[in-house]
Amino acid sequence: MTFNEQELVKGCKQRNRIAQKQLYDVFGGKLFAICLRYTKNRADAEDVLQDAFIKIYENIDSFRADSPLEYWLRSVVVNTALNHLRQQKYLKELDDIDVHHNGLSDREFTLGNFQMQQLMEMIRELPPGCQTIFNLYAIEGYQHNEIAQMLGISEGTSKSQYSRARTLLQQKLNKEKRFDDGSVQHKQF
Amino acid sequence: MMDPSNINNFEDQWRKALQEASEAPPPSVWEGIEARLDKEQEKVVPMWWQSPKVWYAAASIVALLLVGGGLWLSGLKTGDKPQVAVNTKPAGVSEGESREATQKAASPNESLNTERLATASEPQTSSIKPGQQQSSESKTGIAATSRGKAVGKGGSAFAETKNPEAERQEVAVAASVRKPFADKGSVNEVINTSSSPIENAQPGEIAAAKVTGNSYAAALADQSQTISAQLLASLPYSDLDVYVQKRHVFFRPQIEIEEPVKEKKPKEYYAGLGVMPASFNPDVQLKEAPMAFSAQSVSQRRATTGSSEARASYAVQTQGGVRLSKHWSVETGISYLRGNSAYEGGGYVLNAYSNLSSNVLENALAGLTTSANSPAADKAAGFNNGALYIDVAKKVSNNYQYLQLPVQAGFTLNPDKKFSYSVLGGMMANFFLVNELESASGEIIRTTASDDIYRGMNWAATTGLRLNYKLSSNWAANLTGSYQKAVSSGFKSNQSLDAHPYLYGVSWSVRYSF
Repeated sequence: MTFNEQELVKGCKQRNRIAQKQLYDVFGGKLFAICLRYTKNRADAEDVLQDAFIKIYENIDSFRADSPLEYWLRSVVVNTALNHLRQQKYLKELDDIDVHHNGLSDREFTLGNFQMQQLMEMIRELPPGCQTIFNLYAIEGYQHNEIAQMLGISEGTSKSQYSRARTLLQQKLNKEKRFDDGSVQHKQF
Repeated sequence: MMDPSNINNFEDQWRKALQEASEAPPPSVWEGIEARLDKEQEKVVPMWWQSPKVWYAAASIVALLLVGGGLWLSGLKTGDKPQVAVNTKPAGVSEGESREATQKAASPNESLNTERLATASEPQTSSIKPGQQQSSESKTGIAATSRGKAVGKGGSAFAETKNPEAERQEVAVAASVRKPFADKGSVNEVINTSSSPIENAQPGEIAAAKVTGNSYAAALADQSQTISAQLLASLPYSDLDVYVQKRHVFFRPQIEIEEPVKEKKPKEYYAGLGVMPASFNPDVQLKEAPMAFSAQSVSQRRATTGSSEARASYAVQTQGGVRLSKHWSVETGISYLRGNSAYEGGGYVLNAYSNLSSNVLENALAGLTTSANSPAADKAAGFNNGALYIDVAKKVSNNYQYLQLPVQAGFTLNPDKKFSYSVLGGMMANFFLVNELESASGEIIRTTASDDIYRGMNWAATTGLRLNYKLSSNWAANLTGSYQKAVSSGFKSNQSLDAHPYLYGVSWSVRYSF
């Protein structure tokens, strides 16, 4: 899609509805996928997306062109999602958990033949704390100390929750028998 | 399907798989966003409209348009007959025309009326001048075009009932000129139709005639045409009353408010005169018994136990002072003090041979004197041998006169008010004038400064509290409580007598400030 990012931002700063809609059209899909990753159901994801876009339009003035627009938009969406989770009290009782590593090595790991929706579904099936921390660490690329700060938990909790998420995901992947034979039976999303 | 990747790291795999993931949100999301954005904007708009400034601005623009429009219209008005109405009400004349239409239906929607007229006029014209149907149709077209503007349709309707095509154009022009009137006064002007009776009556009849389709009415219509033709003819400039917009400019001349410059108050001087009833006590002490007494072996009463007692005294005071600042002042003055007291020195000695008597104080004084002329000197001799001590307690008067010169500083509370209070403190020089001591025999022994018994001047500390009541801008009454206490002895040093007079007094005085 061709668009002039600067013009788009300028239009949004002027509260131009066409520009706002264009921004939504350009980034709505990606941002909605983020919302889906952080929530448990589509309705929640839609709420988060809506809230996030309102925040984006209201705070577009604070966006500085020195960072990529998409990066800023993603951070707004992630923060909105975290707020949503806090309100839902999903993040209230995050605690250290014992993790039993399943011994899988990274080397033999590939997601090559999984569909994106399958993977998303696996993430959404994780317990809320694991889901959030997995998203933040593995996908968004935050460090554990950052996550600990964002969620008001200890770094150890973040790490253990992440390990738990990783184990659970690997179990799910194993369940799909998806390592070498390539004969994955895709679940309908 | 996800692309196979060289990256085997668990996180990287997931990131690669999901970071660019995208899924189209349902349309309801954008609808919701848009609805919320609209709501946000609505929140802002009412605030804008609520601003009274906007309304003031709008009102002023409307007022300007009204005034400007009025002037412009009056400028357009010609000097022909309808001017009667023009003079009284600039908008009334042209409204007369529009009234023709509105009168009938009593409806502000003139466009409807004009249409009605236009349609009514068609049969008329056909009956009167069959050959002109074409032109009447085109006129109807004119009426239709002007409908949107709700302008002088009455005029165009007339034109239709008339025949000449040339006139029609003029009418159309007239209509466009009158547009502003019709816009403004459509309803109100209908009520005011009486202001231009001639015109109103005629078009009203015409309209009625048209509706009935009477040929007689057609003739009337012709008459009305002539009227409108006159109007058109007289449209060009003529002498008009010029309405000058009067401008009242309210401005406030910059009055230089003279700062009440607090002129530096020149030092305020004052002078006072007062009387001070007082209680004066010389506090005379004998350091050692005079010889006549100490020689008395029979009596050990030692007149040295004598003491002074205050008696009613007074001072007459003059004072002058200067106010240094708001609170501080310094004052000085000259006072005459008459300090009366009594001395009780026990008994007295009596010379058995000469029958002379002497009390302790006089005897002591006699012992002090160095002057042969001193009245006390007489008493000095004769008590050494054969003197008797008569042990009778007796008070003798011991009065002093001083000239006083105080220097006091005062701190005033509540200055410049009706009542003010000052705390005073300072020193006072007491110049000894006279001492009158009553002798045992009843005589008065008068000692002056020249006798060298008393110090010519001794210092006293003074303090006081003054209540000041302002009688007028210059006059004030004072009530001052004073305490004075000598800090040095009243007697010359190295003498056997000692005196540290002290005084309590209440001074009544008046003061004049200038």
